Amino acid sequence: MIRRTTVHRRRILLLGLVAAMVSACTTGSAPRMVGTGNVVYDRQRLMKIQGAQWNEIQAKFKAGDIKGIAPNAEVEAVTSMQIPSLFPEGSLPSRSKAKPEIWERWGEFEATAKNMTIWSERLRDAAQANDEKAVADIMKDYGRVTCGACHTTFRQPQTQQ
Amino acid sequence: MLSLLVALLLLLGSALAAGAAEPDQLARGKYVFGATGGCGCHTEPKGAVNAGGRKYDGPFGTVYSSNITPDPKTGIGSWTDEQIITAVRLGRRPNGERILPVHPFTSFNGMAEEDLTALVKFLRSVSPVNKPTPPKRITIPMFESVFLPAWLMTFASKETPPATAPVSGVARGEYLVRAVGHCSECHTPRSALTMALDTSRLLAGNTKKTGPEGQATPNLTPDKGTGLDWSEEQIVTYLQTGNRPDGDVAGGLMGEMIQGTAAGYKDMTKADLQAIARFLKSIPAVKNKID
Repeated sequence: MIRRTTVHRRRILLLGLVAAMVSACTTGSAPRMVGTGNVVYDRQRLMKIQGAQWNEIQAKFKAGDIKGIAPNAEVEAVTSMQIPSLFPEGSLPSRSKAKPEIWERWGEFEATAKNMTIWSERLRDAAQANDEKAVADIMKDYGRVTCGACHTTFRQPQTQQ
Repeated sequence: MLSLLVALLLLLGSALAAGAAEPDQLARGKYVFGATGGCGCHTEPKGAVNAGGRKYDGPFGTVYSSNITPDPKTGIGSWTDEQIITAVRLGRRPNGERILPVHPFTSFNGMAEEDLTALVKFLRSVSPVNKPTPPKRITIPMFESVFLPAWLMTFASKETPPATAPVSGVARGEYLVRAVGHCSECHTPRSALTMALDTSRLLAGNTKKTGPEGQATPNLTPDKGTGLDWSEEQIVTYLQTGNRPDGDVAGGLMGEMIQGTAAGYKDMTKADLQAIARFLKSIPAVKNKID
């Protein structure tokens, strides 16, 4: 009897786990790994870090420090992986510049973040190889196809643009 | 016999010359298309280039951008070059119907004939798409028959076309900003009452109330404190890549203009972008804080 109850409990637990996973997949929010609990603050902080990295990458490129770009590109790659988890459905307080299109077109949003990871890793690898031409080719489009693609579709325009 | 041979040779020569000019014209047309920002209003996000259908809600109702592909039934394939140029520059369809000034024809009126001719060549080269434009819904009675003509006559300030397109310097920058790039449409303050452009404060920005699609646009004049304090190089970089000096990257409508469709601002030459930057630095500073 005791054994049967334990098995039953385990089944319920397993089912609950599966349900939670399915729910996470279907409601369009990736499980969140780290953070302060204030998701808007966390994501704005992450974007600021990414902007600062991108500024450094451009400065290093101008100065001819091609290899030096690699660590910054790696930060861009790793932080971009966190983006979907920082946008749980409906997290739209007034201070947020996020647009509801994020959740209406979740697949596209996720793909845009994934694209940033891919481009950042390509940039990192080209920088590590000290391949100036490859780095230049990537950097020519990097801002627009990574950050810009998301900002154009999923962020309220900034007045300063 | 000899004269016939000479005539034939001359004919062949001119045909070859015309054939050689065609790719140049096409390339120039694509360049002009990019310098307008890629006519992005005519392309839905992820949609076929120039196939139209983009929705625009205004105080007068709802309109959709036209299909400007060379499709003869739903696009501009059956229009003559002259009719296309008239639509671009004067906002009139071949049947005489007015195009609402959501299409920036008052700015495009300042485009040189040679650029418009090349632009038409490019528009004709894009793949035709059979896609009817959804009908507009005008909610204000007599808007098109009375109010629009009156507004155009009273408030619309048209750019003047030059005899030929300036090729360099500040004049080139002014031409690209005012006519081709139609920057004033979003960046020159509009009257909240009439929506007329206040050209005495050229490019001094708009608040959310008068800006495009309810968005504020920055003051691009060199006013210290409220205007654009970027260097010429930073302006060039921004238009070429979308990268701002603070590490942010352009989004919204400006992001679309830079990216373009078949081409955009990003595809302009460095010399042209420098000319634009120089022009922006040369215009009168206007104090106008945009939050």
